[in-house]
Amino acid sequence: MNKIDTQQKKATVLQIARAVLSAFMGIRKKSDHEFDAETLKPMQVIIGGLIGGVLFVISVLLLVNFVVR
Amino acid sequence: MAAVHGDAHGHGHDDHHPSGIMRWITTTNHKDIGTMYLWFSLAMFFVGGTLAMGIRAELYQPGIQILEPELFNQFTTLHGLIMVFGAIMPAFVGFANWQIPMMIGAPDMAFARMNNWSFWLLPVAASLLVVSFFVPGGAAAGGWTFYPPLSTQGGLGVDLMIFAVHILGASSIMGSINIITTILNMRAPGMTLMKMPMFVWTWLITAYLLVLVMPVLAGTVTMLLTDRHFGTSFFNAAGGGDPVLFQHIFWFFGHPEVYIMILPSFGIVSEVIPTFSRKPLFGYSSMVYATASIAILSCFVWAHHMFTSGMPVVGQLFFMYATMLIAVPTGVKVFNWTATMWRGSMSFETPMLFSVGFIFLFVIGGFSGVICAIVPIDIQVQDTYYVIAHFHYVLVSGSLFALFAGAYYWLPKWTGRMYNETLGKWHFWLSMFFFNLTFFVQHFLGLAGMPRRIPDYALQFADFNMVSSLGAFGFGMTQVLFVYIVINCIRSGEKAPQKVWDGATTLEWTHLPTPAPYHSFEKPPVLK
Repeated sequence: MNKIDTQQKKATVLQIARAVLSAFMGIRKKSDHEFDAETLKPMQVIIGGLIGGVLFVISVLLLVNFVVR
Repeated sequence: MAAVHGDAHGHGHDDHHPSGIMRWITTTNHKDIGTMYLWFSLAMFFVGGTLAMGIRAELYQPGIQILEPELFNQFTTLHGLIMVFGAIMPAFVGFANWQIPMMIGAPDMAFARMNNWSFWLLPVAASLLVVSFFVPGGAAAGGWTFYPPLSTQGGLGVDLMIFAVHILGASSIMGSINIITTILNMRAPGMTLMKMPMFVWTWLITAYLLVLVMPVLAGTVTMLLTDRHFGTSFFNAAGGGDPVLFQHIFWFFGHPEVYIMILPSFGIVSEVIPTFSRKPLFGYSSMVYATASIAILSCFVWAHHMFTSGMPVVGQLFFMYATMLIAVPTGVKVFNWTATMWRGSMSFETPMLFSVGFIFLFVIGGFSGVICAIVPIDIQVQDTYYVIAHFHYVLVSGSLFALFAGAYYWLPKWTGRMYNETLGKWHFWLSMFFFNLTFFVQHFLGLAGMPRRIPDYALQFADFNMVSSLGAFGFGMTQVLFVYIVINCIRSGEKAPQKVWDGATTLEWTHLPTPAPYHSFEKPPVLK
């Protein structure tokens, strides 16, 4: 039990990043999605989503600046 | 939860609930309120449709025939406002009221009295909009987007419109809070988020979008109101304000609003297609993620509505790229629907016909959306009939067709009786034919340069306008057939079995009799 808990804790940041990135793409495996639903807390997803949103805007802006340079 | 609910409603209401008109005024039952939402939106659909008939009658030939230019502008403005806020949005809330509690195994909506209040605000707001035609100066005439300076200059009609938008916004916010709370707190044991039907998922995400952007709209119209009457100059250039600021704030609301009107359609279609393909939805989790993705991206694209308003090239490119990226999750959805049908045991009853029609025509609307997102093209087609054609492909053959699909799909469950399948098919094919006749030719008109919101046009546009008007009259007549089908179904349709559609898997078909009882799931269903 403890082992599973620690494994989940280790995977959390990467797991959130993966879940958020998948949400931005709109593609997710069912098994991964089920794992997300069981392990991630809503607050983690919301914060991850906000950071993801900021990163999305920054990356599009960087691309635009690169294009008009 | 079920026990508490049973105490509150089970005894008192079943035996003694008021009858006649008072039943509808005082009801807190989600099915009654859902029914009222649906009838209200159908009525407003015909009010907005009548205005559309007026517009198309005037545009049947060049020259001014029927409507004076000022009245024509009032017609286009109120047609847009009534269809968006009075027809499409309340119709989806009606579906949510009926279906969400039944689909998640809940006894009712979370805030039953607030639900009643959310609905009864609507007729008040709609009356304000309709009455505004008869006040001095007439109704608002600056387009459904009510850009200043037109909206800071208009007469009493603009004030009535502002008040109506406030009320409609309050109703939408209350409705969304209700839906979010119901979905998050009242699911039957075992109904995890992962097992929720797609329609419930799309409404959950839509409700969050509504809570996010409706206050922005309320703020915008309040600023407009203070500019008009209390000496502020938010949008008045003469006082140091900026009319373009209005456009930014309005579209920060307006673009997510577009998705508010399409995401629940995706939900309905995602219920209908698996049922009539007799296969589970392909890529369920991808569908959930794609819906979330569309909702998130929709908040970063608003300025693609205002490429010609003046903006640095960096801004134009940012909004162009961000907009084009929405095609990715939308493409995921279209792929998944198609994959659901692939090698399915398909049959084409009316709900399925409308859903397949939805995919076909919505894709056309989506592609013309990508075309409009490209800045150099948009600068050519901005404010032309190309844009009109684009968003009618998304909102009529998108949202409206999905609403018809959902109505035919669930009518037997709601009424206990079957609709006339032959007439339903006629309704679909006539709608399909006349819709395309009306709006496909508008692409050509737009590309040839015909501007929107004008009562008269140059002679070279005459033929396509006549075709479009004939299509519009046909489309309008066809919708009267829908009313006949619904009334005929309620009055004299054949009795429907519990599970009308053999491929259906959601709780309202598997666990509830037909018609759905007044109180359902007082005890939560047992789920695997």
